[in-house]
Amino acid sequence: MIKIFIDKDPVEVEEGTTVLKAAERAGIHIPHLCYHPAFPPEGSCRMCLVEIEGFPKLELACSTVVKKDMKISTKSERVVEARKAVLEFLLAEHPLDCPICDKAGDCKLQDYYDEYGLFESQFKEVKEKREKKLKIGKTLILDQERCILCTRCVRFLREVTETQELGVFHRGVHSSVNIYDGATVVNNYAGNLAEICPVGAITDEDFRFKTRSWFLEKRESICPLCSRGCNILIEYHPGFARFEVPKKVYRIKARENPEVNGFWICDRGRYGYSYLEEGRADQIILNKIDGENVLTWENISEYLGEKIKRLYSAKKATGIALILHTWLSNEELFLVHKIFKEDLKVEKIFFADPPQIEADGYLLTSDPSPNIRGALEIGFDIKTVDLDALADGTDFLLAFGPFLSGLFSLGDLKEALDKIKGKVLFSYYSNELNSLFDIVIPVALIAEKAGSLTNVDGIVQSFQPALEPPGESLPEWKVLADLGKKLGIDSKFFEKFTSPDAILGEMGKKITFFQEKE
Amino acid sequence: MIKALGYFIEIIRGILITARHFVVNLFFHILKVLGIKTKRKGAVTIQYPEQKKEIVSRHRSLHRLMTRPDGKPRCVACMLCVTVCPSECIYVEAAEDPDPEIQKYPAKFIIDLGRCCFCGFCVEACPEDAIRMDTGNVHFAQYSQQDLIYDLDKLIG
Amino acid sequence: MTETLTEILIVFIKIVCALVWFLLLTLYLTWLERKESALIQDRLGANRAPIFGIRIIGLFQPFADAIKMIFKEDFVPSFSRKFLHTLAPFISFFFVAITIAAIPFGDILRIGNRTINLQILDFNVGLLFILAMLSLGIYGIIISGWSSNNRYTLTGGLRGAAQVISYEVALGLSLIGLIMVYPSLRLSSIVVYQGELLFGFLPKWGIFLQPLGFVIFLFAALAETKRVPFDLPEGESEIIGFFTEYSGLKWGLFMMTDFMEIIIISTLLTTLFFGGWQVPWLASDGFHFPWGGELLLPHVVIVLFQVAAFNIKVFFFCWLQILIRWTYPRFRYDQVMDLGWKLLVPLSLVNIIGTGIIMTI
Repeated sequence: MIKIFIDKDPVEVEEGTTVLKAAERAGIHIPHLCYHPAFPPEGSCRMCLVEIEGFPKLELACSTVVKKDMKISTKSERVVEARKAVLEFLLAEHPLDCPICDKAGDCKLQDYYDEYGLFESQFKEVKEKREKKLKIGKTLILDQERCILCTRCVRFLREVTETQELGVFHRGVHSSVNIYDGATVVNNYAGNLAEICPVGAITDEDFRFKTRSWFLEKRESICPLCSRGCNILIEYHPGFARFEVPKKVYRIKARENPEVNGFWICDRGRYGYSYLEEGRADQIILNKIDGENVLTWENISEYLGEKIKRLYSAKKATGIALILHTWLSNEELFLVHKIFKEDLKVEKIFFADPPQIEADGYLLTSDPSPNIRGALEIGFDIKTVDLDALADGTDFLLAFGPFLSGLFSLGDLKEALDKIKGKVLFSYYSNELNSLFDIVIPVALIAEKAGSLTNVDGIVQSFQPALEPPGESLPEWKVLADLGKKLGIDSKFFEKFTSPDAILGEMGKKITFFQEKE
Repeated sequence: MIKALGYFIEIIRGILITARHFVVNLFFHILKVLGIKTKRKGAVTIQYPEQKKEIVSRHRSLHRLMTRPDGKPRCVACMLCVTVCPSECIYVEAAEDPDPEIQKYPAKFIIDLGRCCFCGFCVEACPEDAIRMDTGNVHFAQYSQQDLIYDLDKLIG
Repeated sequence: MTETLTEILIVFIKIVCALVWFLLLTLYLTWLERKESALIQDRLGANRAPIFGIRIIGLFQPFADAIKMIFKEDFVPSFSRKFLHTLAPFISFFFVAITIAAIPFGDILRIGNRTINLQILDFNVGLLFILAMLSLGIYGIIISGWSSNNRYTLTGGLRGAAQVISYEVALGLSLIGLIMVYPSLRLSSIVVYQGELLFGFLPKWGIFLQPLGFVIFLFAALAETKRVPFDLPEGESEIIGFFTEYSGLKWGLFMMTDFMEIIIISTLLTTLFFGGWQVPWLASDGFHFPWGGELLLPHVVIVLFQVAAFNIKVFFFCWLQILIRWTYPRFRYDQVMDLGWKLLVPLSLVNIIGTGIIMTI
């Protein structure tokens, strides 16, 4: 640790860090465009100039390494003047079409102009004409006029994906980012380019012109589309009640987490957000049941508890079958384990997960379900559904998740399920599968509830609700805690589970794997 | 006591002022009825549907959307008007224009005049001078709220 | 038999005439109020409501208003006491309308050998009757405020009751001096007394004999009508009043009651302080001017003169009250109470004592 002075304040930093990182740690933001923490410093934008005592010229904060007793000023008159001059050059060729630019609102160039620029342009010359709408990838559009040649995209493709589809062509005022002849940016991480571009040069067709970024609410969540558990930001428009425009998710962005996903997410996670909204079930459906006519979870949990209790006391717990999936959080799986495996001694526990996908060797894994590791750690052995074994001697089936329909044809499922008397489904979606069950209860997705997931590397990550669950949907942990209470076998145990945190705390006591992770 | 007397005098003065207005105005009205022309009128009233006051240039009246020389809307659907609108009465849906110089145009541009408070912020916010409130049209009352929702065609036309 | 029938018929005709006069004047007071306020404020006022394209300065406006009010939805709030809620405006209206019975419109009309008193009923307690009926009108206010079952109307009604009761005292006391001067409660007699002359030229009108009594009566009467500057019970523009929960014709009745009170106050002012139907120096056979001239007129012309004089005086006071209403801002509640109890009541007592002293001298 060495001591340096930033704006006269002493700061203790590690040897070998750059001025920019040191200042960031001290809470001082030094404007920068080309520097990205994932890559080594490039020093092409010149926005991060700072004044260092003893240096004749202004130095680049992103690439200058701190030395003992270095005296750095980030806000001196010279620095501010230099920033203004740099901005003026950056904007010399920038088209200023912010009204039609999707980056507006998130744009660092916009922010810095607002903070340090605010000048009238001195240029009388006409701006250079370039390609404004160059399709460089499946969903990416490059606007060379807006580009400030920070080369973040080029470096990303060189260092992260190692595919190198983009490069800087020509020299001087004519230099521009472009694709190599015939190549297009085709890789599973191309979506990150639009995110790391500090201006609106690379925009995403998936988001292009759909809305403006300042309308979007940003919420943290975890991607459930593979077992990596990448940290994401869900950005949604809260809706426009006056024109009957409903709430809508517009894009998913990567959230920095060096342990799991670094700064990136794959395109599967980025563009696959339709699962959040399309075809969601939002009310309890009663297909075949007598006596009950009030459709509230309160009534139904009473009915289910009663039904299971009767089977249990008639020593018929062997007639209960369970279909689980690993989109359930650690807490939920723990509750299932406690209720059905420990208390009721149910043996027929199957798992129905979405079919395997091809891993890409970087972030995307081959399991498209986020909590397989969690299920294993809690003590389940993951048996895929076997329809014959499932139907054999089963009186009552509790099925979670909509993934059964992906594994079997509807006809096979109907044949098997028709042999079972009582069938309850907890599902995210309203599809044909629902018609095969007596009761269908809508449940909340991972983005809509709190809980924790264990990723493929055994990292337990907690998450909080990002969106409102649709309609009557309930989080499964609540459903299970209620069932546990209503069953009455060990109802005291379930009383205290008023939040996923409480359940995780209990898990820490029972399972050594979760001990330090609560 | 003197104070009270002062009040009393003011009360009398007050009623004399109103009485004077009454009598003088009545006099001029009678002159008018008798057909005698006077410079002074008995009232400052403007008989609205028949007489209209000239609308001053900075008056904010019904919105209109400006067009480019080729008739396309000048609006680029940047949604700054939507952002700034305090009564949230504007709804814009953008679409992609094949011309790379335009790129973005409003597929839908709806103003709900029933909610609009005519503050003119949208005009101020517009970077393209695409929306103006200078039509001078103040007669757009309707019998149903639905008719007060103006779409792109109505706003351009 | 026929004699009694004729008598009844005559009384009936008198009632009809008086009521038609009363209600028409009420209607046109609304028009006058609009026009007068407009002239005061340099406006034109209601000048539309054409019938067959004829507008004549909005003279049909009151009928348009009446038609509108009749066809408006008669909304009775679900939480109100329905019966009393409906009853209240009729109470208010009735007790004001009935007072017209005691007002003398003129002297005696002789047709053949029959004499007709131009007054519906010549009470010997006519003045007390009018004051009593005006006081009873307060029940309409209280009942409307209470039966609407709304806190605002209730407080409005209470304000109204407190105000009207307070001014009732000053109103009654201010007239005692007058009754001492004209020793009668019969309104026709009071008017006849005022036909005499003071110092040979000045008519013996109440204004000359009881100037202080007149001022107190005017103030108290203004407060009694519950209009600006004493419109605390209603305060239609800011504070919420007792008829907030009324609409349509029932609300219209309350509004008409206000205007009828103006007329009654005007007729009282005329009858008590301005000689009623008396025209200065006009006796039953013609003018006898104090400088010696004489102008004898036929009986019918004299009766016409008298009725016209009465009407002109009443119109003037209606005009004056509307002028006052459109000149002054509203009093604060405590100021109203102060004015009533601390100024008008003591002053009227002083007036009684003063009158007594002067009369004994």
